[in-house]
Amino acid sequence: MTGFIARRVGHTVLVLFCVATVSFFIVRLAGDPVQQMLPPEATAEQEATLRASLGFDRPLLDQYVSYMTGLLRLDFGQSVFFHRPAFEVIAERLPMTVDLAVAAMVFTLAVAIPAGIVSAVRRGTATDTSVMASVLVGQSTPAFWVGILLILVFAVNLRWLPASGTGSPAHLVLPAITLGLYSAAMIARLLRSSLIDVLGEDYIRTARAKGLSGFKAVTSHGLRNASLPVVTVVGLEVGSLLGGAILTEQVFSWPGIGRLTVEAITYRDYPLMQATVLFLAAVFVVVNLIVDLSYAVLDPRVRLT
Amino acid sequence: MTIARRDLFRMGGLAAAGLAAPGLLAACASTSSPASGEKAAAALRVSLASDATTLDPQKQGDLSSMNVLINVFDTITVRDTDDKLVGGLAERWESVDPRTWRFHLRQGVTFHNGEPCDAAAVAYSIERLIDPATRSPIVELRLVTKAKVVDDRTVDLITKEPDPILPAKLSLFGGVVVPPKYIKEKGEQAFAEHPVGTGPFTFESWQRDSQITLKANPGYWNGKPAVEQLTFRVMPDPSSSLAALQSGEVDVVTGLTPDAADQLGDAPGFKVVTAPGVRTFFVSLDTTEGPLKDKRVRQALNHALDVPTLIKSVLNGAAERTPTLIPRQAFGFDPAIQPFAHDLAKAKSLLAEAGQSGGFSLKMSASTADKDIAQAISGQLAAVGVKAEVSLLDPATFKGRLVSDNKKALGAMYYVGNSGWTMDASSNLQSFVRHDRRQSRWDNSRADELIDKEEQSVDPETRRKAFTELQNLLIDEAPFLYLYQVSILYAVSDKVRWKTNANGTLAMASAKLA
Repeated sequence: MTGFIARRVGHTVLVLFCVATVSFFIVRLAGDPVQQMLPPEATAEQEATLRASLGFDRPLLDQYVSYMTGLLRLDFGQSVFFHRPAFEVIAERLPMTVDLAVAAMVFTLAVAIPAGIVSAVRRGTATDTSVMASVLVGQSTPAFWVGILLILVFAVNLRWLPASGTGSPAHLVLPAITLGLYSAAMIARLLRSSLIDVLGEDYIRTARAKGLSGFKAVTSHGLRNASLPVVTVVGLEVGSLLGGAILTEQVFSWPGIGRLTVEAITYRDYPLMQATVLFLAAVFVVVNLIVDLSYAVLDPRVRLT
Repeated sequence: MTIARRDLFRMGGLAAAGLAAPGLLAACASTSSPASGEKAAAALRVSLASDATTLDPQKQGDLSSMNVLINVFDTITVRDTDDKLVGGLAERWESVDPRTWRFHLRQGVTFHNGEPCDAAAVAYSIERLIDPATRSPIVELRLVTKAKVVDDRTVDLITKEPDPILPAKLSLFGGVVVPPKYIKEKGEQAFAEHPVGTGPFTFESWQRDSQITLKANPGYWNGKPAVEQLTFRVMPDPSSSLAALQSGEVDVVTGLTPDAADQLGDAPGFKVVTAPGVRTFFVSLDTTEGPLKDKRVRQALNHALDVPTLIKSVLNGAAERTPTLIPRQAFGFDPAIQPFAHDLAKAKSLLAEAGQSGGFSLKMSASTADKDIAQAISGQLAAVGVKAEVSLLDPATFKGRLVSDNKKALGAMYYVGNSGWTMDASSNLQSFVRHDRRQSRWDNSRADELIDKEEQSVDPETRRKAFTELQNLLIDEAPFLYLYQVSILYAVSDKVRWKTNANGTLAMASAKLA
């Protein structure tokens, strides 16, 4: 296990190094922050002065080396538009992103686990069909549309919840539902199929034969064995929730990482683009590591070497 | 479980019932009542399409930051609600010689921290703005080389070439005055996070990407604002900000598109206001090669366009026709100049004269934000056999190509807007006309001479004459397709009394709550 973790950490560093390198060069193909920053009536001379003061006139390799050495000191560079360290700009949005991701995940699991179990247990019945059909609707409606609909019903018409913004737990409800709906659908379907496989296994029959109730057999024997693929997907979903749910954040004016990423791209803010890409990569690498480790905990047959 | 299922079904039902969410917006508006005073009466909440990038007024160049900061800072001159240039922090000004403007400052103005706003502060602000180390995106003061303190209340601005419209430029963010002592003591970063100005509101708090709160400045030199608290709420999605207006969470929503304004209509509780704006739109023509080299072809294309119909059908009437590039409010606009008449027969005969009766094809670029209007223009040109193939680019790419050194990067034609915020025709022409300017694709020695004249003379009459001749030349030579100046569309709750100026900025000092 220790050897496994050590190797994975080394692997992570390599992945992040590659991501940093590739993103450094790719963002520079997207355009120029100086051109976005200045109004169109700026003169060529004014543009050159600003470019020089930002250091973007230096040779590319030179800029790359100072970026990479900066990273070693955890210096992600200065955001061009926000005039502040890029790391600070991201760190500030992180708590809000985590709040929304956690709330959305809670909603997802609260819907997906019961839906998946009921469908699997009542496989082929009208209950199964209707649960899976409703789940499919959840998966196929886009977030910007569901979001607006929820706002119209619960904020504009019923006035139960705020339309957008932050500040209280009530502000979290609608965005969390909007965001969680898609993952809920996916996870419910996955849980259903994986549980159906498991419920056909001999050990479930044995458990039932021992006199275990149907409910107990499903929850304590079936669920645990059906959870491996589900945990993988939940892990990836947590990753993308933390990476920012751009559409949902947009509709509900939620100050998360997703909107920040879009802004960074719109402004062609090189340092901020690079930092958000690195952040996303780091989130996925860490989440994957946690998922792998959890396999060993969930299924003792899995050996991490 | 059953609850979840019912919820999902309800979602499905709604999905079937309301495919057109914007339509629903209007429907809901008529059934729900306006906000029931859940907030203190003197608090005003305004939606912003994006967060401010920084609250240092000399380091920002985006509309959202400006909208917030215009309430915290004052400029040396200002535009009043009738768009007239009047004194701000300066009471009066005069041109001492062609390269020196002298400003006489208002007495007794202090910053929110008590620091005096004197000649030294003004000089510091100008010097800070033009220092490359500030990395300011504000470009208006490019001719200013020095700010000189004459006495406690008098400042001279020295320019390397004459700048006749410097006082007008100082009504924009180039003329903002910042507190020297505060910045030196607290540092640049602290100033950008907790700005201190002389303006009608004082800074209170900033939750990034969420909201910015300001408080009325009781000691404001121009009288304390009627609104006690001013909150800007960041709402990037237009539909959500309209929903927030309907649910009484915000009082003012600006930057509406004609479509959104039309769908919203005038529902109980708030109204949509159309105000004249100064942003002009036109199509740039590459006059250096191909069929557009011939001025008869360029005139023909202008005659082929039916601008009133474009305004009516694509912009829902929210624009006013401009004969050339200059908006009606700008100094130098000549009301005697007539726009091109829509005349297909004349267009066709001009094309025939130029040997282009068979028509031709070329590319017309536009930003994705202007896709509808670009397609409508292309459709109208097709009536005279000119095939303008619309090529859409995301706004950032479009802008990158617009300012690139390659003047052909956007093809033979592109649709573009220009805000002449100084309200002087000079700003509307500066980048597009003189042959050596960055966005000019027209080489006409008389036009160059006239530009030099209006840019270098401080005599208003000389300048006015130059502008009139330029406008006649622009009609005759037709190096652009002339379109319109767009109106500013915003929605306000019935409890708010407020009027925007032609800049469309959210200066809220004059706002009152009913």
